Parts: sequence; C-alpha cells; structure tokens
Amino acid sequence: MSPSRFLRFSVNAVFFSLLLVSMAIILFTAPDKAMSALLSGGTEGITLSVKLLAIYAVWLSVLKMAEKLDLTEKLSRLFRPLIRKLMKGESPKAEKLIAVNLAANMLGMGGAATPAGIGAIREMWDGKSDTATDNMLMLVVLNATSVQLIPATVVAMRIAAGSGSAADIILPSLLATLFSSVLAVILVKTLSLKIRKPKSLKGFKKRGEGVFLDSK
Amino acid sequence: MSVYILPVFIIALLIFSAIKKIRVYDCFVEGGKEALKLIGTVFPYIAAVSIAIAVFKESGFSAVLSKLLAYPLSFLGIPGELAELMMLIPVSGNGAVAMLENILIEYGADSYIGRCASAIMGSSETVFYISAVYFSDTSVKKLRFAIPAALLANFGGSIVACLLCRFI
Repeated sequence: MSPSRFLRFSVNAVFFSLLLVSMAIILFTAPDKAMSALLSGGTEGITLSVKLLAIYAVWLSVLKMAEKLDLTEKLSRLFRPLIRKLMKGESPKAEKLIAVNLAANMLGMGGAATPAGIGAIREMWDGKSDTATDNMLMLVVLNATSVQLIPATVVAMRIAAGSGSAADIILPSLLATLFSSVLAVILVKTLSLKIRKPKSLKGFKKRGEGVFLDSK
Repeated sequence: MSVYILPVFIIALLIFSAIKKIRVYDCFVEGGKEALKLIGTVFPYIAAVSIAIAVFKESGFSAVLSKLLAYPLSFLGIPGELAELMMLIPVSGNGAVAMLENILIEYGADSYIGRCASAIMGSSETVFYISAVYFSDTSVKKLRFAIPAALLANFGGSIVACLLCRFI
C-alpha cells in the first residue's frame, strides 16, 4: 500500500472495524448486553442532538443579529489576511463564515463555531464533488486541533475538583494548542502538495487556485 | 472574569440592534428554523458515531486498547494512565469530560497526571465528530487525509502539553 493510499483514510473502514471487534468481544464476554449497548449509544446520540439543537437555536439566532449588524463582515475583514493565507480563493460569503468559525473557536464558543463551520464548508463546496478540497481540509483540521485561547470548561472542572491553582494549565494548554495548530497547517500544506488529487476534481478549478492544482 | 464576556456581548448586540432598528424576535425565529434544519442533517452522523462509541466502551475494547497504548505513550512523556482519555477525546466530547472528571478526582487536580490530563483536554478536540458533522450539509465523502492529519497534530500537541506541565 502506497503512503498516499494509506493517508486517504476511510471513516467507513474505522467504523466497520470498531463495530466488528467490539461486537465480537461482546459475543464472547456478555452476549446479553449487546442490545443494551447498541441502544444506549442511540439514546446518547439523541440526548446529544437535543442539546445541540438548543445550542444551535441560540447561536444561530445570535449569529443572525450579528449578520444584520454587519459584525460578521467586520470580523471577516479582521481575519481576511489570515484566511487568504491559509485558504486561498474562497468566496466572500465563505470567508465570512470561516471568520465567525475561527473567532468562535478562539473564544471557546463551540456552539457558534459548529454551525458557522458547517455553513463555511457548504459555501466552499461546488455542489457536486464528493472529495474534500485542500481548503476544506485546512478548515476542518484547524477546527479539530482546537484553537481555543482559554479552556474555560477544563478550568471550571479543575476548580470543581478542588484544585488550588486551576488556572495553571492555561499556559501549557495554550502553547500546546498553538503547536498543534501550526503542526496542522504544516501537515495540510505539505500533504496537499504531495498527494495527488483524485481525477474527479482535476477539471474543476473554480475559485480554488489550490497551489498544487496548478503544479500538477 | 470570562463569565462576563457572554452577557456583555449579548447586551451589546441587543443595544446595537435597537439603534439600527433590527427586529430581534424575528432573528431568533429565523435562527430556530435554521437550527431545526441543521440538526436534521447532523443527527444521522451523531447517531452513528454515538452507537459505535457506546459499543466500543461497553465491550471493554477501549480498555484493552488503552492498556496496549499505555507503554508507548509513557515513552513519549505522556502518563500511561491517560491512554483511555487520549482515545476518548477524538471520538466523544461528553465521554472525555466524564473521564477527565474521574482522573481529576482519582489522582488530584494538581498532581502531574491531573495537570497533564487538563492540558491535553484543553488543547485537543473531537476530531471524528468535527470531521463527520462539518461535511454533513454536502455530499463530500472522501475526506482524504483530514482525520490522520488532525489526529497527528493533536497528538503532537498532547506531547508538548505534558512536556510543559513538567516545568509550569
């Protein structure tokens, strides 16, 4: 298997193996627990979705206000230099959503970051392709490495657990997240240069002046 | 200090909306409508991932895997006790929060292990959840190297976090 094939990691394969091995273990250790384990997962999914629905309703409303006040436009102007460096050639609408997504992430407002991120990816999409572009990967990987400035939840949990110096971890956590974000940018930039894009995307160039699209 | 940010932000938005004559109630109704649509597209992904995670935990597979990972992790400076937390963070936000709570109580919030766990948690995200949900409104299926790159970057961040906890 070539390295690039290995890196085109499939969620389906992970999902399949996770379920298969787990179910096999249950079969031999506690077969009677199989149904309850599956159902508890489904229930958790519903609980989480209901919580998310509430969070989305609040944040999408706040976002609506911010949009009508032109705040998102101002935010995107602030972030534009960075966005254009990392994700070249996106539409102004996508840039706006990316700016909201990054700002919300930094401030630890995960609830606002997710809908903005989903919207941004939707804007970055050409409407038919089944393969993520370099810019999409950049946004998702940045989000997945957390660019949060102050991990408020963790600090609150430390206080609750009786820590004498709950804020001690802010600095290491900030430096670590900075490191992981820089590492993420480097990884995405170098991997997108190395891994050839699948054929389906070659023809369409649109806004994505992807560095490596031109070089191939 | 940071608790003031949100109410101040909302009040500022409300005042500006009043000045610019923007109908706030209408904004919330529209927001709610969009939220309903959004959760519809996101739910199938959340349900699928939640089911897999539940089975992964209940079967004891996650415990076995974390035992195998404990030694290589401690070699990289990450306490082996945190192996299960490290595995949970990318897949389940709620699961990771519950596990961090246990670790803070069991080892003490100010112990080296407790501080490492907090710093790791504060510097990483639920990679699988984000990768699944962010593409949910498109028909993008091939994420190329998104997940390995994110996992690797987070892992690098965790090593740095533990290293820094030795000094800070």
